[in-house]
Amino acid sequence: MRRLSGSIAGAAVLALALSACGSGNTATTGGGGGTSALKGTGTGDTCKITTPIPIGAVFSLTGAAASYGESQKKGLELAAEELKAKGGVTYDVKIEDDATDPQQGIAVFEGFVTKDKKSLIIGPTLSNTAKQTDPVAQEGKTPVLAVSNTAAGITEIGDYIFRDSLTEGAVIPQTIKAAKDKFGLSKVVVMYSNDDAFTESGYQAFKKALDANGITITKTITFSKSDTDFRAQLAVAKASAPDALITSALIEAAVPLVTQAREVGITVPIIGGNGFNSPKLMAGAGKAADGVVVGAAWNSASSGAENAAFLTAYRAKYSADPDQFAAQAYTGLKLVDAAVRAGCSGEREDIKKHLAELKDVPTALGKFTMSATRDADTPAVVQVVESGKFAVLK
Amino acid sequence: MQQLLNGIFLGSIYALFAIGFTLVFGVLDRLNLAHSAVFSASAFVGIELVARFGLSIWVTLPIIFVFGGLLGLVIERVAFRPLKGRHDAHFAGLISSIALGAMFLALLQAGFGPDTRRFPPDAFPQQRLEFAGAVFSVLQLVIVVVAFALMVGLTLMVSRSRLGRGMRAVAENPHAAAVLGVDVDRVTALTFALSTALGGVAGVLFALNVNSAQISMGSSIELKGLAVIIVGGLGSLPGAMLGGLLVGLAEVFAVTYVGSSWRDVIAFGLLFSILLLRPQGIFGARQVREI
Amino acid sequence: MAGFLDSYASTITFMALTGVFAYSFYAVLMAGQLSLAQAGLASAGAFTSSLVVPAAPLFGVIPRLVVGIAVGMAVGAALAFLLGLPVMRLRGVFLAIATLAFGEVVRILLINQSWTGGAQGLSFPKLVGIPEAWLALAVVAYWFWRLGGSRLGRALAAIREDELAAKAMGIDVTRHRMISFVTSGAVAGLYGVLLAYFVRFADPNAFGFSTAVDGLVTAVVGGTTLFIGPLLGSTFLTWLPELQRAIGVEAGWIRPFVSGLLLLLVILFLPGGLAALIPHRRRRAMAHPDAPPDLPPLPAPGTPIASLRAIRKEYGGVHAVRDVDLDIAAGEIVGLIGPNGAGKTTLVNIVSGLVPPSGGEGTVVGIPLGSGVPAHRIALAGVSRTFQQIKLFNRLSALDNVLVGAHRVSRPTLLRRMVLLPSARRDEKRALGQAFAQLTRVGLADRARLPAGDLSYGDQRRLEIARALAAHPTLLILDEPAAGMNHVEAHRLSVLIRALAEDGVTVLLIEHNVRMVLETCTRVVVLDFGEVIAAGDPATIARDPRVVEAYLGAEDDQAEPA
Repeated sequence: MRRLSGSIAGAAVLALALSACGSGNTATTGGGGGTSALKGTGTGDTCKITTPIPIGAVFSLTGAAASYGESQKKGLELAAEELKAKGGVTYDVKIEDDATDPQQGIAVFEGFVTKDKKSLIIGPTLSNTAKQTDPVAQEGKTPVLAVSNTAAGITEIGDYIFRDSLTEGAVIPQTIKAAKDKFGLSKVVVMYSNDDAFTESGYQAFKKALDANGITITKTITFSKSDTDFRAQLAVAKASAPDALITSALIEAAVPLVTQAREVGITVPIIGGNGFNSPKLMAGAGKAADGVVVGAAWNSASSGAENAAFLTAYRAKYSADPDQFAAQAYTGLKLVDAAVRAGCSGEREDIKKHLAELKDVPTALGKFTMSATRDADTPAVVQVVESGKFAVLK
Repeated sequence: MQQLLNGIFLGSIYALFAIGFTLVFGVLDRLNLAHSAVFSASAFVGIELVARFGLSIWVTLPIIFVFGGLLGLVIERVAFRPLKGRHDAHFAGLISSIALGAMFLALLQAGFGPDTRRFPPDAFPQQRLEFAGAVFSVLQLVIVVVAFALMVGLTLMVSRSRLGRGMRAVAENPHAAAVLGVDVDRVTALTFALSTALGGVAGVLFALNVNSAQISMGSSIELKGLAVIIVGGLGSLPGAMLGGLLVGLAEVFAVTYVGSSWRDVIAFGLLFSILLLRPQGIFGARQVREI
Repeated sequence: MAGFLDSYASTITFMALTGVFAYSFYAVLMAGQLSLAQAGLASAGAFTSSLVVPAAPLFGVIPRLVVGIAVGMAVGAALAFLLGLPVMRLRGVFLAIATLAFGEVVRILLINQSWTGGAQGLSFPKLVGIPEAWLALAVVAYWFWRLGGSRLGRALAAIREDELAAKAMGIDVTRHRMISFVTSGAVAGLYGVLLAYFVRFADPNAFGFSTAVDGLVTAVVGGTTLFIGPLLGSTFLTWLPELQRAIGVEAGWIRPFVSGLLLLLVILFLPGGLAALIPHRRRRAMAHPDAPPDLPPLPAPGTPIASLRAIRKEYGGVHAVRDVDLDIAAGEIVGLIGPNGAGKTTLVNIVSGLVPPSGGEGTVVGIPLGSGVPAHRIALAGVSRTFQQIKLFNRLSALDNVLVGAHRVSRPTLLRRMVLLPSARRDEKRALGQAFAQLTRVGLADRARLPAGDLSYGDQRRLEIARALAAHPTLLILDEPAAGMNHVEAHRLSVLIRALAEDGVTVLLIEHNVRMVLETCTRVVVLDFGEVIAAGDPATIARDPRVVEAYLGAEDDQAEPA
């Protein structure tokens, strides 16, 4: 007991010391007007702020969602490096781990908001964590930029919550429309994992889009997000002889699902959402991935200047292809930079104001506009896998 | 027919995992919750051996058997032996094996990163077989055969060999076994090693079968593994096999006839009712013991 | 300090919430049961409360959170009761897995409901902060603190240590286990409600297997035998990640590794959990000459106590006891002797209600024997016993062992202890006095505070007798009490037994030490192959040729107790 209470007392002292330092550094933040270390001179590319802007990022670096967090971390670190090289405004990016545990997410958010006085928080990785952490930031008047949350009800939490990740609802109608035009779908089977917020939203969006296009759902099959053996479900799907297999799944499930679907002899197109938009699909499923249609927020094959630069830099740094999570996290910090430069200020209120005003910013995700509901407005893309590569479905 | 086979294949995977799990419980009356970490770790190491060093799967499997066994020795030495003789050894063993399992998984992430990994597509012959209109892969057949062979082999070993006699003696009464000259520590360690060696092989075959290996793959099968060993009868090897098949078939038929959302309700409902009707499980003969 | 509170408000709150959840495990663990349904119960409590919590205080006065808590706890308790009905007969790992399966079924059912939002989860208003969370924790901790020293608390601890012995002390094991189960459910429901109204969100997936395991780990790390345990466990586990962040351990695999390592070290090196670090509070020395007071008088000498007619017991074709007639009257000291395997222990198990007879009729202290009669009823009616293979509550002190023995003659104190009524204190003092008197009687007063498991073999035998005596029994059954004693000790025991008989206690004594039986008993019954072969006063028995043949001839092997 003595040891334990000793260490708690130690933590308390440490915390006090830390918060004292924190407030010393940023004593003038949060005040809005007046002179501040986080305000600079010039605008846009000429903006110069001497103090690095403190940014906190919360990703799931361990636990169940660690593979997404890892991608996001890579994307974000790449962007931070590039911005540092660019100069003028620098960012002190602190990436923390929520261990895929909302409780830790809340604790980290609180530290960022109250103790570390971050100008903005990027994250967290999962939507259901965001629903618990973002109110903390909203109350602390700290802007949050979500770079992977796609569930409904995130930006509705408050006017400090923004996101650059296109929701399934924004992507899927286009996907279904394009697929219908191309393949002439009339009846389909839908498969989704019903115990995950992201894939469940995807299912809702698919259902709505299918209804709108007059396509019949002959069978709806659910599974669990941790499943990897889908043969039983696929046998049921195959039995109803659909024109296409519509799936809302995370990449961990997508690869075995696609592989096994081809294995049991389902040859019709498989249509997926954002969860499928990863090079891991082709790396994992190999030839089985050919013919998979993926509607997504990021066109990995886009030859836009920003995207090309991103791909080159990412491959150079990590010798691997980025996925959508990396692209969205990378773009996130770039958008923050655009907002900071627009007002040439790293104050919370200024970042919030200018994030809301972002319009037609060229990014790796395409031209980015922040919508009136603080949601992403970027072009969605419908891709199809052809001989191991994403190509735009035409 | 296809679904029947699917159920058998799925069930064999559960059984493979559960056979090792139930062995430790049957002999030592301990649940080793680090078993699932060995399952994951072996899959990752197996992938590394095949993908990085180009070993054939047939060479990899024996190596993984040894690797899993070594992890078992570590688990026994670190998480279980220090608890010997403590009155709370049952609870403490649960927690210490959870803690050690978490450490294994952390090391796994340190070594291989958090991403999903998989065997190279040509690691195992991709041939498909057809039987009575149902399609399946050579691999699935191998899994069923391996699971069955292990079950039979182990049952024979426990009933015939010297080590097996030692195991049964320890299971019956460790003190008496020690008096009769059985080296209890050695038998315990070997039981752990054998159990996790099987868990390791199960991990590799599982990863091959579903074309995917994740750090958390062990914890998602752990719950099913618990269900299987209860359904079959704690500590019973044929029970683990039969329990695995039963749970696998129940799930597949739930998907086919009831609706996939209710699959796990059916599986756990089955578990629940078996516990109430026949707490010792289908094959369990042993008395109910306190954990 | 204010800065610390601000910066760590959520961690401080989670500390309390995790503590509450750990108490829901403590509630069952303290009775030796392992349940893993709590996550599901918490989830059910939280989601149900979302349906009934009003938008404004109820009737204008009852706060919304109070409504939520009441509903959440009621749902948790009710579900635990419903679950308990079928699973209460399971033990150990079987109970754990059955409850785990139940928790998973609850989770899947809730995911498939639209009113829970399914995987999308449900938003809750924020009604809980540091004060609410800590107040709840304080109330729960207070409950378990007061429970610890109450009659109910001791009964639960006794069940944890040895169910059979608890039964023989008159404790209704099934009912007590159910009480701990329902308490656990209510506390789990409380946790669910507090959590949801603190983090403003809940989805059924957040209450799965791993949540249940986390709760178990918290409770076990803290310690399951002292009420402060769950609080210590939650302190340790809540601050562990925070501390790692504060001292700058890099985010990533190293953190779960360190957490796992620390958890392992605590478990390996602190048996009894973190609570083991707390020095045991010594109970004040107590000699209560005024006790024992108003215990009911024992039956007058000659009153029939037990009467068996043609009692039989078969185990799979083996006749352990066949057609035994036995009458015991108040004031007698009846000796039961016979060679190993003669059926002596089976017979006393029948008399004490632990084993139902296969046939025949019998009445013991007014209770008819039969398969529907639970052992604790016979114990409550006045039969108390010791066991051939010592069954003490090993982790409890000698004094607490005897206090459990006094279960029958003490009154429930829990509710009065909760409100600190002085009458509860008086009752406890009385029970303590009664217990101390018994310890003194067997010569163990100076070892009252040692854990029973640490006593020497002979002392353990004596402690069992003291425990049995504390019940103020009409009929005291001693099953080989002199085993392992030397002849001086055996003689002292014999004197004690005769003194008891003079106080009006009827004694049924099984013993291998024939000399002692002949010296002590007023009447001796000889069993062989499950049958009574002789009965009468000691002098007659000693001369009976059948007895000499069947038993006394083999007297030499008495050095080797069965």
